Amino acid sequence: MIKQLILIGLLGILFGVFFVSMQDIQELYNTFGKDYIAATGFADTGSRNLVTAILLDYRLFDSLFEAGILLIAVSGVIWISKHESQEKNAQFMLDKFKTPDLFVTFSRLVYPLMLAFGFYVIINGHVSPGGGFQGGAIIATAILILYYIDADKDTNIALIVTIEKILYIAILLVASLSLVSRGELFTNFFVIDASPDTKAIYLVLLNVMIGMKVALGLWTIFTAFLKEGR
Amino acid sequence: MMLYVPIALIFIPVFSALIIYLIKAQSIRYLAFVAQIAMTVLAILYYEAYTGQFADTFFVIGGWHERVGISLINDELSLSFVFLSLFIWWMVLIYTFNTGQNHRTFLFFLMFLQGVFLGLLQTNDLFNMFVFLELMTILVAILVVFKKAGDSFRAGIYYLLLNISGVMMFLIGIILIYFTFGTINVNSVQTVIAAGELVSGDEVALRFAYVLLMAGISVKAALFPVHSWLPKAHGVAMSAISGLLSGLVVKGGLYLFLRVNQMFAGANIDYALFFYIIGALTAVIGVMFALTQKDMKQVLAYHTISQVGIVMMGLSHYDPQTVYGGLLHIFNHALFKSLLFLGAGVIIKAYKTKKIKEIRGVMRTMPVVSIFMIIGMLSITGAPFFNGFISKSIIKYGIQDSGIKYWILFIVNIGTATSFIKMAQVFFGPKPMTIRLRSLEQRIALMTLAFACVVLGNFYIPISTGFFGVDVSHVSVFQWEAFFDYAVALIIGFCFYKLVIEKDPLTVRKIREFNLSFEMSNYLFVLYVAVMTVYFVLL
Repeated sequence: MIKQLILIGLLGILFGVFFVSMQDIQELYNTFGKDYIAATGFADTGSRNLVTAILLDYRLFDSLFEAGILLIAVSGVIWISKHESQEKNAQFMLDKFKTPDLFVTFSRLVYPLMLAFGFYVIINGHVSPGGGFQGGAIIATAILILYYIDADKDTNIALIVTIEKILYIAILLVASLSLVSRGELFTNFFVIDASPDTKAIYLVLLNVMIGMKVALGLWTIFTAFLKEGR
Repeated sequence: MMLYVPIALIFIPVFSALIIYLIKAQSIRYLAFVAQIAMTVLAILYYEAYTGQFADTFFVIGGWHERVGISLINDELSLSFVFLSLFIWWMVLIYTFNTGQNHRTFLFFLMFLQGVFLGLLQTNDLFNMFVFLELMTILVAILVVFKKAGDSFRAGIYYLLLNISGVMMFLIGIILIYFTFGTINVNSVQTVIAAGELVSGDEVALRFAYVLLMAGISVKAALFPVHSWLPKAHGVAMSAISGLLSGLVVKGGLYLFLRVNQMFAGANIDYALFFYIIGALTAVIGVMFALTQKDMKQVLAYHTISQVGIVMMGLSHYDPQTVYGGLLHIFNHALFKSLLFLGAGVIIKAYKTKKIKEIRGVMRTMPVVSIFMIIGMLSITGAPFFNGFISKSIIKYGIQDSGIKYWILFIVNIGTATSFIKMAQVFFGPKPMTIRLRSLEQRIALMTLAFACVVLGNFYIPISTGFFGVDVSHVSVFQWEAFFDYAVALIIGFCFYKLVIEKDPLTVRKIREFNLSFEMSNYLFVLYVAVMTVYFVLL
């Protein structure tokens, strides 16, 4: 009890100081970064969605490693969940007979819609909210629903992981193409005064690749978890 | 094209890691060495090209405005860390080369970690630092549980959760900085703070951001109240990984400590006393726990904590000489601690036990490895002619005016001597009936590390002046005081061992069995952040 009270007191100090610093920030608030990107984001990158502008152009270097975090997490989960014992024929935890029929029927109905929505979010990442990371997560959720429809579905994890790694290499290569075409690293490979429509080709390409990579990565992770839960 | 070498240093290991993972042939492992050679050559050429004009190494990725895009910059500090990392990775690659059948997966994580660590050293952008820190945390957690044996899952999750909470504090700090300055470019923030027009340095927001950044860094560097992940993780990891983590990855936190203090240089934050106390506590508590341990790797892991404390005792000064002592101790510790861990790995593998009491007669079974281990032990205890002596002397020289600071360092030295006298017992005794393992790769790695320890211990003056331009000629090996001090520490340590530690009294057992639960270390983390907040913001 005393421990909890002390903890509350300590957190109280932290939150108090945080609120005071919020007051400070209202005076100090420097909008340089915000203003700069709002003013020149569309002209520089050809993306109406400024989040995508930052993600895929201004700070593409970060995004490459953000995608790398998922890549490493997937490889780590695969490695840790790989057991020496051979139990390949065991059933999935999600038993077909225990899933209600209503749920299965609705899943069949929703599955194509979710897939389509995922692709929509990926492809329109540069004009409306969304992008590769978000769309990839939606597609992965759609694939997760597949396990409700067909519980015995067998997935070749090794193949997915290989494709995911190759996609990551491809993303790195597309990102560094600009060094050859423009002499600048990790940016749009079209010249800076190209029309927004031309630049969109690059944005869509990279969004699709990131989306696929994220979807495959999440798919692997939950397949590994399903196998763990046998 | 020399300008883009930092990018190459980051992506060569990442690419080779991916290729090693994808191609399923055992011979692809040699690619790691090809990559390592290419990186070493590039790094040397880069250093040659930019010596004396490090301001030119600055460039913005994508050619954007420097306050919007991500920029990279190098100086003596970051390049010396780059060379150290390349060296330690060389050693770990050679040492682990012919061990285990899952070597490709291991190399994948190991090489990826190298790319990420080199990125962390060279970046000039706070959010980029955060991304690398996060990636590093996940990679290290995977490497800790890599053998999937015994307690390693628990230790890995412990490490992951505690470090991620530290990194999250770092992220909140970055958000505060971004709101205050409109940029997260380290150099720009440093210039604005130093100019003192927009901020005076007394703002609560600025100081709180400093506290949060330091909270994240302290967890990474295993400073006193948040050190508990280190012995757990290092105790269960493979010896090579323990060597890499102790030698280098923990130093990533200390490197960021230097960088962030550079950034806040104009803000009049009086950090010296606070971090000196934290460093001294870390050193004393680390050595106290190390004395009581019976497991060889636990002893070494707790000594890492105490040595990080000594480094902090050096770094937390405004006097550049003493800071340089701390910096040099980072390098020396990286060399002798990886030597000790790798050597301990060889011994543990041959004797199939980690208990110091059960290992005897190493000198007879493995004379070569014993010699290298003894060099490592002489270095860590600060014997003259070995590298630990040099950096400890510089720190000692810097704090000699203050009696209490001097005595704390002396007590830590005695503790270190005691626990290595205890560990040196493994060399003596009758020759046991064990299989003699011969591995050329492991011997090469140990020999190179031992050689580096001796070289740095004797030719420190030209190395220091050549690389950092720091004159350390006031530290002389040929002083009778130096030998006298070392002998006194050894004698007191020996008596202390014989009279107290060997009898294993109740107190020692209590300390050994003391276990910091995850819940408790989280309380301590919150306490630590709150104390820092009170000290730096409210006082």
